[in-house]
Amino acid sequence: MKTYWRTGEPCVWGTGAALAATLLIAFILIIVVMINGLGVFWPAPLEELHLKDGSTLLGERIQREPVHDGEGFRRQYKIANRDLYGLDFRWIDESNIVDVRYPDEAIVLEREEHGDFFGYLKSLDTVDLVFAADIDLYQSLLASHRKVSEMREAVEQVDDEISKLSYKLEKVRRNLIKAEYQGLAKNNPKVLELKRNQAILQDDFKHLVEKQNQNVAAMRVHKAVFADTNGQEQQIILADMVRIYQPNQMGLLGKSWFYAGKLKELILGQPRESNTEGGLFPAIFGTVMLIFVMSLFSFPLGVIAAIYLREYAREGMIVRLVRIAVNNLAGIPSIVYGIFGLGFFVYGVGGAIDQMFYPEILPTPTFGTGGILWASLTLALLTVPVVIVATEGALGAIPREIREGSLALGATKFQTLMRILLPMSSPGIMTGLILAMARAAGEVAPLMITGVVKLAPALPIDGNFPFLHLDRKFMHLGFHIFDIGFQSPNVEAAKPMVFVTTLLLVLIVLTMSSIAIHLRNKMKKRYTFGTF
Amino acid sequence: MNERFRIRAKRNDRIAKWVITLGGMLVIFSVVFILLLITNTTLPLFQKPSADIFAKFLLPKEPTQEVLAIGVDEYLETGFFLDREGVFNFFENQQGLATDQHSSSPPAENAELASVESVGRLQYSLLWDDGTLTLEQVNFRPFFDEENNNRRSIVHSVTRKAVFPSSNEDLPIMSMGRVSSEGRLTRVDHLSAERLMVTQTVISETLLGDQEEEHFSEVLELPGQDAIKALALNNQGTELYAGTEAGYLLRWSLSEAGGAKLLDHIQAFTDGREITALTLVFGDYSLAVGDTQGQVSTWFPVRTEKNSARKILKRIHTLSKHDTAVIDIQPSLRNKSVLSLGGDGFLHLDHMTSERHLLDLGNHVPLFQYAFSTRGDGLIALTEESRAIIWKLDNPHPEVSWKTLFGKVWYEGYDEPAYVWQSSSANDDFEPKLSLTPLIFGTLKGTFYAMVFAVPLALFGAIYTSQFCRPRLREIIKPTVEIMAAIPTVIIGFLAALWLAPLIEESLGAVFLSIVFVPVGLMLAIIIWQFIRRNDPLKKLERGYEFLAIAPVLVLSIAIATTLGPMAEDLLFAGDLKQWLFEEAGTRYDPRNCIVIAFAMGFAVIPIIFTIAEDSLSNVPPALKAASLACGASRWQTVWRVILPSASPGIFAGTMIGFGRAVGETMIVLMATGNTAIMDLSIFNGMRPLSSNIAVEIPEAPHGGTLYRTLFLSAVILFLMTFVVNTVAEVIRQRLRKKYGRF
Repeated sequence: MKTYWRTGEPCVWGTGAALAATLLIAFILIIVVMINGLGVFWPAPLEELHLKDGSTLLGERIQREPVHDGEGFRRQYKIANRDLYGLDFRWIDESNIVDVRYPDEAIVLEREEHGDFFGYLKSLDTVDLVFAADIDLYQSLLASHRKVSEMREAVEQVDDEISKLSYKLEKVRRNLIKAEYQGLAKNNPKVLELKRNQAILQDDFKHLVEKQNQNVAAMRVHKAVFADTNGQEQQIILADMVRIYQPNQMGLLGKSWFYAGKLKELILGQPRESNTEGGLFPAIFGTVMLIFVMSLFSFPLGVIAAIYLREYAREGMIVRLVRIAVNNLAGIPSIVYGIFGLGFFVYGVGGAIDQMFYPEILPTPTFGTGGILWASLTLALLTVPVVIVATEGALGAIPREIREGSLALGATKFQTLMRILLPMSSPGIMTGLILAMARAAGEVAPLMITGVVKLAPALPIDGNFPFLHLDRKFMHLGFHIFDIGFQSPNVEAAKPMVFVTTLLLVLIVLTMSSIAIHLRNKMKKRYTFGTF
Repeated sequence: MNERFRIRAKRNDRIAKWVITLGGMLVIFSVVFILLLITNTTLPLFQKPSADIFAKFLLPKEPTQEVLAIGVDEYLETGFFLDREGVFNFFENQQGLATDQHSSSPPAENAELASVESVGRLQYSLLWDDGTLTLEQVNFRPFFDEENNNRRSIVHSVTRKAVFPSSNEDLPIMSMGRVSSEGRLTRVDHLSAERLMVTQTVISETLLGDQEEEHFSEVLELPGQDAIKALALNNQGTELYAGTEAGYLLRWSLSEAGGAKLLDHIQAFTDGREITALTLVFGDYSLAVGDTQGQVSTWFPVRTEKNSARKILKRIHTLSKHDTAVIDIQPSLRNKSVLSLGGDGFLHLDHMTSERHLLDLGNHVPLFQYAFSTRGDGLIALTEESRAIIWKLDNPHPEVSWKTLFGKVWYEGYDEPAYVWQSSSANDDFEPKLSLTPLIFGTLKGTFYAMVFAVPLALFGAIYTSQFCRPRLREIIKPTVEIMAAIPTVIIGFLAALWLAPLIEESLGAVFLSIVFVPVGLMLAIIIWQFIRRNDPLKKLERGYEFLAIAPVLVLSIAIATTLGPMAEDLLFAGDLKQWLFEEAGTRYDPRNCIVIAFAMGFAVIPIIFTIAEDSLSNVPPALKAASLACGASRWQTVWRVILPSASPGIFAGTMIGFGRAVGETMIVLMATGNTAIMDLSIFNGMRPLSSNIAVEIPEAPHGGTLYRTLFLSAVILFLMTFVVNTVAEVIRQRLRKKYGRF
């Protein structure tokens, strides 16, 4: 026993415990995200509770926990109907529950506003959409909703046209301001041409808006009357309903189908209800675009710097300094990059661009405010060290003889580099790039001050000339999490969405870095010596 | 070989060399550039203010005209002076040509002015020689002429705010009139050396909607044989201050009409020097006092003891000293600066909070009239030879000094000097509190707790992985930890704040029990293992899987702690540990506190330390290990005595880099600390670190303002903290690389 202690065997166990703890924490984190994120879209059954005081309650069970003082448990229910009750959630003591039922005809409505509605269908008021009497009420509701959805698609098309027109109008307005700034007289042919153009556009615009108003009015005529579990009636416009379903009647297949539909909405849909419902498309698009623009800058810069360090620079003071600089760049807090981006890119470069190219609309900034270009540049600076370190490692792993062989055959240094070294080290360089991309996908702090927003009115790419609008603000998955988790008015109701977004981001980042690390390990095996 | 091809190849080679070298240099350059740029943004904070003479001209006045007051608009384009007849004479400031006059309609025919007092923003209370007091307002308004290409000009006018009728006594030496925001009129007359008269008119509306006026009047007498030398009245007319010949400061409250209350009567300085000038600093809270010795100081009422309601005037800030007695003091209308005029004709500009002596103005010509522009960036003064001088001040950040940034400062309304960060408030006359000390403290506190959690776990984990673990498992563990490093911090922060914090709050007892139970559980497990490992099936178990065996023990200990936690709380702390902490130990429990931060930020730092430490441990030449084992050392002895010392520089470097990461971490602390800038070492409180402070405040900081630059300064501090740490770590790593020549 004594020797056992003296040889330090318990200490080995202690270090093992440290490792186990580390891995456990990571495991718990992933599990928590998975449990909370994966189940969000699975339709839960609606329970109808009959309480001791005679009232009933229709809701989705969220959790169950012991009562703080005393015996028994209490349950949290999502009761929805925010416009009727004001609250989304309610705690019920189990001792108060007399009976629990699962009514088949209970309906869940996902709405554009006020969150979900839980209740029962009473009657339809769909004017000319009435169907043959032999289908039941619920089926005709679904059928009318489909019709209304078709109408809505038409309305959305007109919306697109309107936004295109207003973009053109805005352009003409800017040109007019520019003309005025340049000091063109009011009767200058160019100004007159612009004015005429503006008048035509405005006329078109008015016409379209009128048409649109009519369409919308026609669409919003169709209504249905619902009642909550206590019989309180509520008229709801069909056009406000996003999805209608009866969870208690769904089978496994139906639920899976529903789940797939929700996933599709998540990835391709627009956010609703101050980002707590609906899809993440603008955020996903913004994140991808940000990473893409960032890579355009950080990739060449990082690779060139690494080539300099490995192949061109002579070992000495300067190389040591550059290495220290690179490691410092990697270690600078991201918020410092952010504030640098704000001071240098946004106010410095952006301000100068505005002075030079858009002086007519100052003080309204064009490039002199946060935007996707500045955020990408800031992130590029932040991720350059990752690319440098990975590329250097890859170049360093190539055996010396290969270089010498190439040079001995008469190739120049540049030829050796282009034809031999870079192709050989490409997996390593890819690794660096993917790691940099993963870092950019997860970084939020510098974006918060260089152009990310809660809700961007337009994507950075659209059908209007010049198609790519790098001055626009954008949305980002990471910021989305921060925003809906911490700045939304109803944090409890926003939680499911935060967990879903988190799950998505974790999946993206973990997949990217797993690929990168896998590539790197493969490469390491190929050249067994001299890693960094 | 084709000659042209060779030439092209060589040319390409040369170009590439240049381009690549340039690219490499760009990297060093960018580090230096980032530091330079953010430092450069902060530099104006410490710039010495300067004043340029903007214009200098002879005042356009008749020789007989006497100047009682002078003023200038905020653009420094138009000036005016007030003469004995109560006429405001306006002039433009380029050549000093008279433009027009606005008479302030005297209350009686041929009435002349007896005295003038300047009140706040271009307001003047004029005492006429028939005893009437009027309050006049000079208005400047920019006017954009649409006909004339939107050229800006300044339009001016004079309006009367109030009339205070004569009090039928002898003509006072000096009078002051104020209109409060409720419309109450207050007039204070300085009747004779030791007598003051306060007259107040309260206008109230009766139920029927009629206006009713009530008049109150009373005489205030100085206690003892003394003479009043200086007076000050706040803008609302509720607080009256007086300074006397014998060096006493008096303070009356006039908030109850007709019931003036003497609140203070104190000897200002021990040497009993005479008080010569009084004025209220912008915001009407602090009193600026000038004395015969030429000293300018500011005072405000402070609680005498804790929890007592009584407050007495106390000297808070001592500002610059004139060579001769102070004649007059004027407050800035923009910030907490004061301008004081000495008997030698020099003007001193000081800032109260920072106690910075900003400027000396004047060139040995006695000045006798002077005024701030309303924006506080310009100044007009008049010499005795009626020469007007207009200075333009370049003084953007008077409130910042090393002391206000890092030291304890006595802010208005506080009972003692304190380190406070509070950058903004709803009202204009707010005193910005920009102490970076609580933020640096917050950064270090959060980092400390995170490191306490992360370093042991990461280092011991790395030792186990590199030395004791099966190589096959190691191939899995290392990438897993590296992938851990890629988890976005926004996710860690969000989970910490919305999932972990409520969990810990709910089961605080269990958390503390775990601290005891986990080591005990481990001990028990090891001892039990010691007894059973000799039995047959276990004998065959290979080494290198210990961590898998120990994991259930950890889970079990925590599970036991969780079950026993509420019971222990019931038994020891009457069911509520948080309540007990508050009542018995006096510590408040914040739901977002350092325990949460330690877990969350520790989790973010572990992979970084782990990876670097593991690398350096694995890179210790295997010969050393083999030799040690061959000499009969056990595997732990080998690691502890041989491997660890050789790898220690790498381990140190890893810890340093982890430290740097924790210092700069933003999202986790932003979400999980509560962001209150308090200085308290307690583990149950949150904090506000530099990084999240930047993220929170920079969107609201106007470009180029003091807050903006102060935030850049905090970025510089963060940069330097990580720069030092990273450079040390890198230098050590380079040494190590040389020593072993292979990583």
